[in-house]
Amino acid sequence: MIVVVAVALVVVVLWFTLGVRAKDLPEPEPVSPIKHLEDKKARIYESLRDLNFEFRVGKLSDTDYQRTKTELQKELAGVLADIDKAAPAPAPASNTKQDPLVCPHCKARFDKPMKFCGQCGKAMETRS
Amino acid sequence: MAPARYLLWMVLTGLSLAQVSSEFVTADIRRAGSRLACLCGSCKNSVGDCAMLGCHYSLPARQKIASLQAQGATDDAIIDSFVREKGKVALVVPPVEGFFGLAWWMPVVVMGLGLALVYWFIQRMSKPAPVAPVEQRVLDRYKESIEKDLASLEE
Amino acid sequence: MENIGALSLFLALCLSVYAILGSLTGKWRGNNFLIVSAERAVLAVWGLLTFASGMLVYALLTDDFRYAYVASHSSKTMPSIYKFAAWWGGQEGSLLLWTWILSSYSAVVVWQNRRKYRAMMPYVTAIISVTQAFFLILITVPLTPFEVLAVGKEITTVPDGRGLNPLLQYWSMAIHPPTLYLGYVGFVVPFAFAMASLITRAPGDSWIHTTRRWTLVTWMFQSAGILLGAGWAYAVLGWGGYWGWDPVENASLLPWITATAFLHSVMMQEKKGMMKVWNMVLVAATYLLCIFGTFLTRSGVVSSVHAFAQSPIGAYFVTFIVIELAAVTYLILDRLEFLKSESQLESVVSRESSFLFNNLILLASCFSILWGTLFPVISEAVTGEKISVDAPFFNRVNVPIGLFLLFLTGVGPLIAWRRSSIESLKKAFLWPLAGMAVSMGILFALGIRHIFALMSFGLCVFVTWTILSEFYKGAAAISSKSGQNLVAAMVELTHRNTRRYGGYIVHVAIVIMFIGFTGAAFNKDATVEVKEGGKFHLGGYDMTLTKINSGQNDHYRYVSADIAVHVNGSQVATLRPEQRRYTTGDGSSEVAIRRRLNEDLYLNFAGMANEDKAVIQAYVFPLVSWIWIGFAALLGGTIICLIPSKIRYSFPKTQVLGQVVKEGQPVGPR
Repeated sequence: MIVVVAVALVVVVLWFTLGVRAKDLPEPEPVSPIKHLEDKKARIYESLRDLNFEFRVGKLSDTDYQRTKTELQKELAGVLADIDKAAPAPAPASNTKQDPLVCPHCKARFDKPMKFCGQCGKAMETRS
Repeated sequence: MAPARYLLWMVLTGLSLAQVSSEFVTADIRRAGSRLACLCGSCKNSVGDCAMLGCHYSLPARQKIASLQAQGATDDAIIDSFVREKGKVALVVPPVEGFFGLAWWMPVVVMGLGLALVYWFIQRMSKPAPVAPVEQRVLDRYKESIEKDLASLEE
Repeated sequence: MENIGALSLFLALCLSVYAILGSLTGKWRGNNFLIVSAERAVLAVWGLLTFASGMLVYALLTDDFRYAYVASHSSKTMPSIYKFAAWWGGQEGSLLLWTWILSSYSAVVVWQNRRKYRAMMPYVTAIISVTQAFFLILITVPLTPFEVLAVGKEITTVPDGRGLNPLLQYWSMAIHPPTLYLGYVGFVVPFAFAMASLITRAPGDSWIHTTRRWTLVTWMFQSAGILLGAGWAYAVLGWGGYWGWDPVENASLLPWITATAFLHSVMMQEKKGMMKVWNMVLVAATYLLCIFGTFLTRSGVVSSVHAFAQSPIGAYFVTFIVIELAAVTYLILDRLEFLKSESQLESVVSRESSFLFNNLILLASCFSILWGTLFPVISEAVTGEKISVDAPFFNRVNVPIGLFLLFLTGVGPLIAWRRSSIESLKKAFLWPLAGMAVSMGILFALGIRHIFALMSFGLCVFVTWTILSEFYKGAAAISSKSGQNLVAAMVELTHRNTRRYGGYIVHVAIVIMFIGFTGAAFNKDATVEVKEGGKFHLGGYDMTLTKINSGQNDHYRYVSADIAVHVNGSQVATLRPEQRRYTTGDGSSEVAIRRRLNEDLYLNFAGMANEDKAVIQAYVFPLVSWIWIGFAALLGGTIICLIPSKIRYSFPKTQVLGQVVKEGQPVGPR
């Protein structure tokens, strides 16, 4: 009796552990490669909203508020720029402005916005 | 008295005899006892405030304190006599001398080191950011959409 | 059938080892089958341990005294609930519980993340399984709960077991160990995620989002476990102490402190990407302190009431801790570059700095407790002389630290992130500080001269004031906009940012508990011998012993005293403290407590002085009830922290890899 139970236990456990079929492999959730940037963006928005609220309840002086706000906005802009850089494909429909990171003349791409293209030397900026 | 009750009384007296003989903790005993560790092994109190039932250490210790005090011994003399008998383990806290002083010094030293670490961290982190600051131009480009999004968050 | 339990433990050990090897090999070879199989092994381990635990519990409930464990920790006359609780009444069984809880946690982790974090999960599985395997080794080799009593090769049995110590047969004692273990064990999960993110150099802080809830839930269990233990000691041990700085109590406090530090400093990482190295250190320290605490409890290195009988497992633990410590240190040092800070400190006067000091103070307190706990051992090893480090040491060191921490609790919320100018600080601090000064003055005038008590009460006013004004200002701002009344606005405010305002409620809870702790400065006690009809007096209470009762039942003999309590001439209560002697030979005392918000009257029947004189220990413990009230508030606050905030933001997201996320607005009330 005890032998039967023991063998059954071992067999069931091994079958469960080792019997992984191809259809058992879970399909991983699609993960955006820029998820950490999106997270960061969300966090800064949250901080900004929080900052506005704290200012409204009078916990911050006017100068503190302005300085912190500008800093946060700059950081946010940096993150937004990074996101655009990583995934430039679908430009926002409303935004007819060209991508400032791509040279309009030779289509060379750069890491940061430039006044003149490092490839063909022509002016990249259409407006400032 | 019924026999059962008598038996019970015997049992409980046995339990509590030691308790009773030293139950009166005078202020003097408590003062001296508060400097001595209760070495019963199951509490971390001093002889002065150990209140466990039938404690096999603190109760005789209090009797000893009482008898020494009756002979006119000072607190220091009482403590000394305990230390002579049991060793430094009889003291409730380590003495501030030699290696044992470390017990007291280390928390202070570590606190100091921690403060130094915080100072170093603040110094290091107050330096300008290692990454290039975002240019005003980039901000200008996104400012409009940021403001718009934020306004919608503010409900 | 007796061997099936042991077999399933052994199988579980094999599978845990397989889970470690399988997930690592699968990861390195890129073999998904192996990874999934390793995850299934984790689930199977849970199944096997549940089965084994079930067998042990069944044996306990059916009085199967062939098992040595059942014979020594249970008895026929025990109520079923305590037979069940005997599962964790002894060394072997409680290690089984530890392991079972760990396997349950790891099963949940594996199941929740079966489609997520695919790059990280093999390491998470492996790291959790390492701990799992370690504890399985303990309960398979030196401390198996399924040992049977045998004479020669013949399994034998005994007529009745020795039973659980009656002191432990108390409701909060039945749930204190599992609650504490839920805390202890849970810290394995954040540790595994942190280390896995370090190994894979995963970008961003996604592990933090996953483990924040774990840490918080675990922290809540740990707090509950600690406080249940305190409540038990107060109500059962007969001298009214709720915290004795016993090594095992300290061991449970250490990871709680580092976890508290982590819960604060992790905000720095989330908000600003700072202190990444430090957070890794805290997560690792919390985990290692949990293992260390288990080691202290079980190896008999330090003497303690809680310690299980001396056993040979100390060496196993030391080896395990040293290896893990070395591995963690190497990992962190090797990946310092990955942990580089993303931003800098804008100003010294900022929320960030207040967190730095909060961490400093918490860690200093953690160190001093650890140091005090180990000093007798260290000192004996160095000087050869034994030494005591008792409650007075811990109190003297930790009371000032605690008060400073209380102060920071009040300061933190007043300082803004990034920077706070002196003017706004002046504005923020003026009234709370004034309130503190005034309340201290009033208490002084009322005759309170105890300096720490004065400071403690003053700081309690200060902190309460700052937190209430946070709630008030926030609610006022909301109600001025939406027209809600103030209470509704406060609920709304809390709901909008549950983590912050739940956290504030936890802070208030800590303040309430400090009020209770401070009451101990004014304890009174008296020990008296009284006959029937005798009177005695303590504090504002006049007490008369009206009757001494005695008798017996199946389980124990007892003697009790009926004591009429009078305040200002009118009777307010009749209390009946009792002394019991169990058939097993253990004694216990059932104290009688009149609990009130201002003070508890606590009577202990210490014994009979002679045939007709009872010895009564009477205590007055001011404010002690506030500790338990604070505990309830702490649970409530933590649960609020766990509720998702009302407003979930989804921001304009960028389309990547064909994954479309719509441009979004706040999704609004869900």
